[in-house]
Amino acid sequence: MAGEETNSGGDHDHDHDHDHPPFLAHHFDTPEQQFDSGKLGIWLFLVTEILFFGGMFCAYAIFRMLRPEVFEGCSQFLNTKLGAINTGVLLFSSLTMAWAVRCSQTEEHKKLTGMLAATLSCAMIFLGVKAIEYSHKWHMGLLPAGLFSYDPNHPHHEGGPNYLLWICMPFILIAIGTILWLVISLIRGNKFHIACAKPLTVVALSFFAGVGLGTYLESGGSESHAVAGAHADGDHASGEHAGDDAHDHDGDHADHDHAHSSAAQLAMEDSGDLDVLEHLASDATNTGLKDDVAARVRQSEEASGSFAYNTSDDAANTINDVEREFLTPSRAGVFFSIYYCMTGVHAIHILAGIAVLVWLLIRSVRQDFNRQYFGPVDYVGLYWHLVDLIWIYLFPLLYLIR
Amino acid sequence: MFAMLPGAFSLLGDQFKDYAWFPEQASTFAETNDWLYGVITFICFLFFIPIAGLLFYFAIRYRKPKGAKAESQVAHNTKVELIWSIAPSFVLIALFYLGARAYLDIRTVPEGSYEIGVQAFKWGWTMDYGRGTYNPELHLVVNEPTKLTMKSSDVIHSLYIPAFRAKKDIVPGRYNYMWFQPTVASEKVSEEELAKATQWTKESGQGWNYEKWQFTEHGYRFFDLYCTEYCGTNHSEMQTVVVVHETQEELDAWIKEVSARGSDVTPEAWGKLLYERRGCQGCHSLDGSKLSGPSYKDAYGSKRKLQTGEEVLFDENYVRESIINPKAKVAEGYAPVMPSFKGQLSDDDIYSITEFIKTQSSNTPVATPATTQPAADESAAGETKE
Amino acid sequence: MSAGSIPSGAQIRDPGYPTHSENYLTNSKGIMSWIFTLDHKRIGVMYLIGVTCAFAFAGLLALAIRLHLLSPDGAMFKGENANNIYNQVFTLHGAVMVFLFIIPSIPAALGNFLVPVMLGAKDVAFPRLNLCSFYLWMIGAVFFLMALLGSQLDTGWTFYTPYSTTTDTSVIAATMGAFILGFSSIFTGLNFIVTINTMRPPGMTWFRMPLFLWATYATSIIQVLATPVLGITLLLLIAERTMHIGIFDPEYNGDPVTFQHFFWFYSHPAVYIMILPAFGVISDLISVHSHKRIFGYRFIAYSSIAIALLGFLVWGHHMFTAGMSSLTTIIFSALTFTVSVPSAIKVFNWLATMYKGSISLTTPMCYAISFIFLFTIGGLTGLHLGTLATDLHLHDTYFVVAHFHYVMVGGTLVAFIGGVFHWWPKMFGKMYSELFGRLSCLIVFLGFNLTFLPQFVLGSRGMPRRYATYDPEFQSLHVMSTYGALLLGVGLTVALFTLLYSLIWGKRAPANPWGGATLEWHCTSPPPFYNFERAPSVGDPYEFGNVEWDSEDERYVSTEPERKLVPDEQPSEVPAH
Repeated sequence: MAGEETNSGGDHDHDHDHDHPPFLAHHFDTPEQQFDSGKLGIWLFLVTEILFFGGMFCAYAIFRMLRPEVFEGCSQFLNTKLGAINTGVLLFSSLTMAWAVRCSQTEEHKKLTGMLAATLSCAMIFLGVKAIEYSHKWHMGLLPAGLFSYDPNHPHHEGGPNYLLWICMPFILIAIGTILWLVISLIRGNKFHIACAKPLTVVALSFFAGVGLGTYLESGGSESHAVAGAHADGDHASGEHAGDDAHDHDGDHADHDHAHSSAAQLAMEDSGDLDVLEHLASDATNTGLKDDVAARVRQSEEASGSFAYNTSDDAANTINDVEREFLTPSRAGVFFSIYYCMTGVHAIHILAGIAVLVWLLIRSVRQDFNRQYFGPVDYVGLYWHLVDLIWIYLFPLLYLIR
Repeated sequence: MFAMLPGAFSLLGDQFKDYAWFPEQASTFAETNDWLYGVITFICFLFFIPIAGLLFYFAIRYRKPKGAKAESQVAHNTKVELIWSIAPSFVLIALFYLGARAYLDIRTVPEGSYEIGVQAFKWGWTMDYGRGTYNPELHLVVNEPTKLTMKSSDVIHSLYIPAFRAKKDIVPGRYNYMWFQPTVASEKVSEEELAKATQWTKESGQGWNYEKWQFTEHGYRFFDLYCTEYCGTNHSEMQTVVVVHETQEELDAWIKEVSARGSDVTPEAWGKLLYERRGCQGCHSLDGSKLSGPSYKDAYGSKRKLQTGEEVLFDENYVRESIINPKAKVAEGYAPVMPSFKGQLSDDDIYSITEFIKTQSSNTPVATPATTQPAADESAAGETKE
Repeated sequence: MSAGSIPSGAQIRDPGYPTHSENYLTNSKGIMSWIFTLDHKRIGVMYLIGVTCAFAFAGLLALAIRLHLLSPDGAMFKGENANNIYNQVFTLHGAVMVFLFIIPSIPAALGNFLVPVMLGAKDVAFPRLNLCSFYLWMIGAVFFLMALLGSQLDTGWTFYTPYSTTTDTSVIAATMGAFILGFSSIFTGLNFIVTINTMRPPGMTWFRMPLFLWATYATSIIQVLATPVLGITLLLLIAERTMHIGIFDPEYNGDPVTFQHFFWFYSHPAVYIMILPAFGVISDLISVHSHKRIFGYRFIAYSSIAIALLGFLVWGHHMFTAGMSSLTTIIFSALTFTVSVPSAIKVFNWLATMYKGSISLTTPMCYAISFIFLFTIGGLTGLHLGTLATDLHLHDTYFVVAHFHYVMVGGTLVAFIGGVFHWWPKMFGKMYSELFGRLSCLIVFLGFNLTFLPQFVLGSRGMPRRYATYDPEFQSLHVMSTYGALLLGVGLTVALFTLLYSLIWGKRAPANPWGGATLEWHCTSPPPFYNFERAPSVGDPYEFGNVEWDSEDERYVSTEPERKLVPDEQPSEVPAH
């Protein structure tokens, strides 16, 4: 069979061979070989992905080992509810993705498109919720070490750009684009375009569903102890909030802050928060002072020539005997650095996944896949499961420490 | 016997110092290390000579015209292959054992070692002898185990003394240590030679030229100390010298001599000395050329533009602040790379440096007499930090 | 000078010459047919041109370094900025050599051309991905160029923190470049693994694969497993520089040693990415030009895989002085010694292959012999560095520089050039001048040794590496080394011109100029677009019994014993029933 196929020599048009179906690339002999190659390829790619994330998991392990209390403390700034809902959304998307693979094998084209659209919508919801999380933290200055500017007295910075709007901007543009596409193709009556644009419009809009969901949960989030504590601790002038609300572009956001402050009052009474509050209070008063004192002590030690040397080992000599004080930029910053790196890179993977899923969706509308050729759906499915799996690890490691 | 081998292999033999294989053996590690090096080299030759010999022998012996058939087509011989796979392993195990044992000695600091602190910075060294004595030269006592506790103020450096066969990286953010026991004391050069060099140095108006004289300004021959971890522009100039004293008393005498400005030394001269010794000259020129930091030429009394756009007057306070907290006011066009000298210079030192900088400027206002500086009198000379 | 003769009556099997429309170089015309080609052979040729340019550039930088070191105060670069320029030049030399030349040299340039042909496949499994990885390579090169034209780069190719996070040179452009090149490398590796796993034609069992394929397979495993870690490390470094994430920078409570661990976790296996394919090339070269079956095929094949796996466990030996705990250091030292065993096995096997062979001292064979000589030195001096106590003295001195140049240049580069000479007739269908080829080999060999042998002495005497200026007592050795480098440059230029000359004036190459038995010699030179007209019949890659020299046409042909139409023996009688 192999000999038969290669006769054509120089020209390599796809149709040069009668038993070479259009989906079979010229250098493969059989669809099975092509499928196996693709499958092995994607598995290898997943291995590289795991190692890629492995680097960050290592960094996480090292720094958590060095400063467990920083991780515990800072983890409380993450809203577990949002994390949990995102986990659920991703798990559901994995289900629809697996279903999509099945549909492509059984040649249920309509259902395949639907499943892919569902997966995409879940991805968008995930990103919407993430947008809320990120913008909220940026607003409070909970940033990587170099930019960390969280101030327990004034958790909500006044002014500053409206991060949420900036994050949403590309998605708004995309949504407008898909709606325009839909309208134009409806007017023109191009069936293929309509069939593509319809699910994609739903997908694009589901991002805002995610934003709405995130906003709702964030405002009702009594889980965020530390944030709440900080609110209660600092003087909570309503004027500050007015400033905040002024540049919130959608109405939901306005109540969220008020709801938040009331949640803060509730959290005050919750005795479980007391030690956290204590921490913040002590930080609030003497962060700068403490550093200064430490520096002075170190300085005079060195000046007198009596170093506090530890003779046992190099590794033990690293400066890691941190006092239980975690809200300084260089300490808390590291947690947020790792948080942003890990979730950020994960979000980039979601975006990449969305791109290939859109490509699949268009191909599925074109009915490209059949029981002999469903490789691409299968490969993307594997990729999607991996992205999902990584989140399943990220969620407890970042949100559920305690 | 093995230790002799490398010498024998050196290209022209030991009489040509330029081609010697090793630096002088000046610590307890050196002998073990060179011996081990010799053993390894010997083993290498044991393998290499037959391999290279056979390689060329086969190439000539079995060279045949095109088309000739090989005499044998034997595909494998498991027994032979197993032998040459396993046999070298024993050699390797032995080498590993020897290396690891010697390494443990090198990393295990004996109790009661003499301690010296080392601060590495771009691009220089500060040795801390305690009691507020800092000096770029490393001075030790012969046959006295000495522990260096090292830290870096900026990037990674590595302290390397070839004569001691000792090396250790200095990683910022942690303390690193190393130890060694010098076995050879530095010679002292004759008084005439020293006098000649001192005279020359005074006349030339430059700093002490170690390279030219090959001894220190106190008349000691020295060993080289290098930085071996790449650290930027002047990495190759981040060198200092190691002097090994005969006795503890001699070392103490030296420490006393360098610890502070003597009563007969003017602040300007002392400032100049500090400028050379403490690494200022690596970044700040006197002739107006731009190095990593701004030049001292005509700096004092001028207005200085900062990175932030502000302008400040280059006065005593500015000098003091720039030494203690260099990142506070960085001059425009320069990166904030200067390490802090907080706790490393006494008030008198800083005062002396300021005086020295003043001498480098033509626009030093005469109206500001030095009397504003309380530490100007001699009592401050022996003072250490609070 | 020929001793072979074709047995009379034997059938000759020779594919002849390709027609114009079959030849992959000429079957389609125009620049676009190259830019968008999916043909692995064309991509291989483009890689070959690319890496050669990168090598020429980095080689010139190397000469600049050596010239600068002619005098203790620096002879080449003058003025206030001399040290900075020197630092930038050695950084760029290292970075370009490692990321743009050595890593893609054999796997991407030779590998792309040879893997499918040797395997008997029509192309690699993912031709588009293959082209994509070539363009990623180009983009990576552009980023390096940007770093060069921007504010330079002076971190050393290792990008050690915190130096790389504080210097004001274009670290980000360079790390982005390395990051992108990493992906190029990953895709190439992934492609080869899949190709070798799934595209083998019937009859091509694992143990009928030429050893070059085994080596490529092992290399690809490393590329796929190690490079992602480099990717994330560089990303974190970029984040550290832009946002100060405080993972590597001690100023924000980070740990620089963590960076070193991450970096060397990739970069040590990367050393094997560089040398393993060279092993594969040499295995084939030695066997073909000795016209003798490779000795200990399985040992060589397995040792490639063993090196690939062990290579992941030894990264710590770059950090013996960096401040790991003593126990960790000792463990890494022990693991380091284990990795030397498989390399030793290969050297012994190559020697045994030459023993009682029929050696033709062609240009590729000369390079292969140089390789064994130089690599053995490189490998053995590794013992000095793997032994802990001596490493404390030699670490970061010229001894290390000499050691890894013996392995990377004396090893990989020489094997690469040997491989190019070996497969040049196959790639371009032209024969080059043997005289100049061998001359280039001799000059390279002498020049190389003159350059780097003195550096062993320099290192032993305590000359630290990466020094722009040095103490005068080291001068004579440095001068020697510089003259060697110039000689080496001459040798490489001769090699380059010998090859380029042959492109235009060279004789037409036969299908099998060396007498090889692997599949690539069974198709025409240069191969047709589809590599094989019929699915090749796969035989033993090292069976030279039926390869005969045809002195009339100056080519080797494979022969088959005369076929008789009538079977020799008739069954004496029809079996009962």
